[in-house]
Amino acid sequence: MLKKKGILRELYTNKILFFMLLPTMLYFFINNYLPMVGIYYAFVEFDFNKSLFHMNFVGLKNFEFLWKSGKLVELTLNTIGYNVVFILLGNVLSITVAILISEIKGKVFKKVTQSILFLPYFVSFVILSVIVFNLFNYEQGVLNSVLQQLGFDPVDVYSKPKLWIFFIIIFYLWKNFGYSMVIYLAAITGIGEDYYEAAKIDGANAFQRAWHITVPMLKNTFVILLLFALGSIMKGQFDLFYQMVGNNGLLYSTTDILDTYVYRSLRVTFDMGMATAAGVYQSLFGFTLIMVVNAIIRKINKDYALF
Amino acid sequence: MVSKKSKAVGLLLTTAMTMSLVSACGSSNDTSTAGNTSTDTKTNNETASNEGTETTGIDTSKKVELQFYMLGNAPKDLSKVEAEINKMALEDLNATVKFNYTTWTDWDQKYKLLLSTGQNVDLIFTADWTQYQQYAKKGAFLALDDLLPKAAPTLQAYVPQDMWDAVKIDGKIYTVPSTYKEYVTNGFVWREDLRKKYDLPTPVDMKTFEAYLEGIKQNEPKLQPVSFGPDILNSLVGTYLDVQRKNVGALPYGLYASYDKPSEMTSYWGSADQLADLKLFKSWVDKGYFSKNELNETESMQDKIANGTAAAILGDNPTRYNATASKMKSLHPDWELGYTPFGVTNGYATPVHPIHNGFAIPNSSKHADRALAFYEKLVTDKRYNLLTEYGIEGVNYTVEDGYYKMLGDANTNGFAREAMNGWAWRNPEFMLFEPSYDGVKAIFDELDKIQKPDIFTGFAEDYTEYQSERAALEQVVKQYLQPIVAGQVDDLEGQLQKFMDKANQAGLQKIQEAYKKQWLAYLSEKGIQ
Repeated sequence: MLKKKGILRELYTNKILFFMLLPTMLYFFINNYLPMVGIYYAFVEFDFNKSLFHMNFVGLKNFEFLWKSGKLVELTLNTIGYNVVFILLGNVLSITVAILISEIKGKVFKKVTQSILFLPYFVSFVILSVIVFNLFNYEQGVLNSVLQQLGFDPVDVYSKPKLWIFFIIIFYLWKNFGYSMVIYLAAITGIGEDYYEAAKIDGANAFQRAWHITVPMLKNTFVILLLFALGSIMKGQFDLFYQMVGNNGLLYSTTDILDTYVYRSLRVTFDMGMATAAGVYQSLFGFTLIMVVNAIIRKINKDYALF
Repeated sequence: MVSKKSKAVGLLLTTAMTMSLVSACGSSNDTSTAGNTSTDTKTNNETASNEGTETTGIDTSKKVELQFYMLGNAPKDLSKVEAEINKMALEDLNATVKFNYTTWTDWDQKYKLLLSTGQNVDLIFTADWTQYQQYAKKGAFLALDDLLPKAAPTLQAYVPQDMWDAVKIDGKIYTVPSTYKEYVTNGFVWREDLRKKYDLPTPVDMKTFEAYLEGIKQNEPKLQPVSFGPDILNSLVGTYLDVQRKNVGALPYGLYASYDKPSEMTSYWGSADQLADLKLFKSWVDKGYFSKNELNETESMQDKIANGTAAAILGDNPTRYNATASKMKSLHPDWELGYTPFGVTNGYATPVHPIHNGFAIPNSSKHADRALAFYEKLVTDKRYNLLTEYGIEGVNYTVEDGYYKMLGDANTNGFAREAMNGWAWRNPEFMLFEPSYDGVKAIFDELDKIQKPDIFTGFAEDYTEYQSERAALEQVVKQYLQPIVAGQVDDLEGQLQKFMDKANQAGLQKIQEAYKKQWLAYLSEKGIQ
């Protein structure tokens, strides 16, 4: 009897809790699920005078532009490649720095270091592009002025695509690692002092304490940050790439990601169908990826999985 | 214990991150849903009921609120002006109007969404640079032909018939053109004080312009002689084709036709002419006339003139030249800026096409007749017009010797001249100018003597059949052609060949042929030879 009416009973006994959940569910339904109907735009020929479901169905025609230039594979790989590097290097760097900062004893010095490292996060990408341009521009850039002072030939950085792989990664890290570092720092503060004291008594030095206590305790935070990051792995850092590379076609072979490509293609047309098609491709890919990775993590350790 | 604690931290984190996710989604969604929820509740079928009656004039028995959309940023005192306007509009038309602004951030995206999501919009700005022709062709706007005599007979009579004809797309009027005649054609811009100082030739054509650049390079080695910015395909190639090869307009896809023989359309890309031009541009880079890294330049051409980091612009329009000159003067009072319109070089100048500034009624509008009647007031009624162009007299501005005078300065005044971006509803009979505008007027008067009609802007391209090729081509141009133009590659012939191969792969020929066919059809329809 009780089992049969499981759901209803559950609803009844916890009615207050479910009632409290309702606004959130409504919110997600209206803002995140309802608009999914718009995915259908990717499969129709857009027409101002018809409603969505009366427009001409054209199948996959809107997706054509993605592979017409033969760059889809390269773009997808670029996008994923950069993100993987960002996630891995970004996390390693912020964990290391977070541990170092947590070991600082002077309170003022600690706060100052932390703030300075966090500061670049608030620099707008537009400003970043100006900084980069002033560093590297051929005629008056800082780099070339220094080189010429030292008697070397100037280098035209903006026509060397391979170099930009490093620049993009370096500037991304410079700008972003402060943010995740603060998260890790918060997690480190949450680790009980007693572990460290016990370890100290057993004669563990600072490195051993960090490696055997702090790092394992941060695993959970790392996995969560990783999963969140993976969900948007197909959504490249548009601002970063667009502002740093901009119109410079010479650099596209190594710095073009899906977002910048789609932006460039579609700013010349106003076709809803093609824009939606690009979005659908990115979302589907990201969705698949997060499901797969979550499943893998679930297999390894259920506690760490997102769902 | 261990896992419990870490789990707790994790949970906290998850919550925090989800919150930020939610709020991020919320803010981006708000803008798109706001419009939908604010859909007018007072839906009525006035247009339908009106069609039955034969009499002129419109039914104003029901009060309506009109949604008016303009690009750019709203002025600070907009609400005051809006209140004044609404007082009059309520009396005249039993309507109120809400002036909405898109801001300049992502305006093209917002414009697209306003028209394609069926949002309640009654009046919206149109221009050639907002793709009026394409939107009209695709049916985004309401045809005004039948509505004009009924809802806005004064406006219909006020705008000359040839302007109404000029904005027609496929034989129908979709926008109300502005009647103010101006020129947005380009001209050489240079530092006149430096030219005098080193006794360089006055730029009047490409030869003298080059000689000026050379002179600057030799006398002021630290100064960049000319700047183009990242949009080099327009600022250099487009402008060069305009002044040197008399291109009929900014033709896309590497097509070229001269103003004198518009029907002889050929491919500029891959031609011997293009190679010669590219060699010239490359020589400019090698001589140091402009930067090797122009594509990554972050300052605008105009700013570089004003702050003294560049000495010339190949082509800019009279109004912007004037703005650059006054900006420069405010920073460096002893500098001078020179200007030669391309009309002097080429012997003709095309006044702005009526499509350049206009207002249309989207198909989704529920009060089309009232909207048009209101727009008529805005243009032809002096009270409405002055109020929306210059603000409140005595508060925002005064008239001195027939000139406009702003009260206070740009920071204290909540409504600067034309702060509502009212380019489209300018009425030449009521217009007020600042004294500094006399320079521009003088240029316009010069150009008036050699004016010829703009035959390009009236053309509405329909790229439905080749839109995926078009998007692919855009990529190829950016990746392969642009670096050649910017002088970043040494092997010109080889790289150009590579660009042509890639472009043909992307479907260049198909695009060019389709465009040419439409272009010729347009020319014969308009009777242009």
